[in-house]
Amino acid sequence: MLTEIQEGKALNSVVKHITQDNINLYADASGDFNPIHIDESFATRTPLGGTIAHGMLSLAYVSEMMTSAFGKNWLSEGKLRAKFKEPARPGDTLTIDGKINCIDQKDDVSYANCTFNCRNQKGEMIVTGEAIVKFSSDKK
Amino acid sequence: MPDRAISYEELTPGYKFPSTKFELSASFVSKYLKAVDIKGDGFVPPLAITACAIAATTKSVPIPPDTIAIHASQELEFFKIVPIGTTIECHIGVLQKISRGKMNMLILELEIFNKDKEKVQSGKATIALPT
Repeated sequence: MLTEIQEGKALNSVVKHITQDNINLYADASGDFNPIHIDESFATRTPLGGTIAHGMLSLAYVSEMMTSAFGKNWLSEGKLRAKFKEPARPGDTLTIDGKINCIDQKDDVSYANCTFNCRNQKGEMIVTGEAIVKFSSDKK
Repeated sequence: MPDRAISYEELTPGYKFPSTKFELSASFVSKYLKAVDIKGDGFVPPLAITACAIAATTKSVPIPPDTIAIHASQELEFFKIVPIGTTIECHIGVLQKISRGKMNMLILELEIFNKDKEKVQSGKATIALPT
């Protein structure tokens, strides 16, 4: 967890390599068997040209970064807004980073407003968004 | 159970899909953690809960022929830590339906409750359906 929650602080980044095996495991765990994720012959006939990872798989890595930074505060009172800009594909290495942009305070409660980005090895933006975490002021 | 009777054309804002229940068992959480390559911390990862709801959504949405469903955006809010073993109930409804040329978009609203009817998560998912 972050020892200090302050404006401008970078969150520890997360790096993940995507494989078709990961995608298949994710489909099996989540129950999302949309063929665009798991059926290569179907996916190659679509405009996407091949299988893509579930957007929620990339977002899980964002949540991992937020959990690592904010612990239970994220799990119990987190909020996020994400846009899936480009698909992540098997073979991609994703780097997720983020930072605390500002801290808002209301009564005895503080809110860390963060931004996050998930890029592939070519620097292409895969997911981008904002997250807010509530925490008590005495933790600041 | 997914509502197979309704067609995409019949989906209108305000439509509610039949609710679905999931048991977030230790084996489910273990499978999910392996899939996302993340260490567990004794609780159900919030995105694992969303994953179940999204999967239920994609099964429920009657996709028009020759169309693929792409997850375009996601909003989420977490209200409670969810212990392993909890049974959740997902409520999903159509918030907006947009049609622009060859692109259809569905904005779905989801609310997830525990067995005590406490809300544990809510959100919005935008699903793009290019033809």
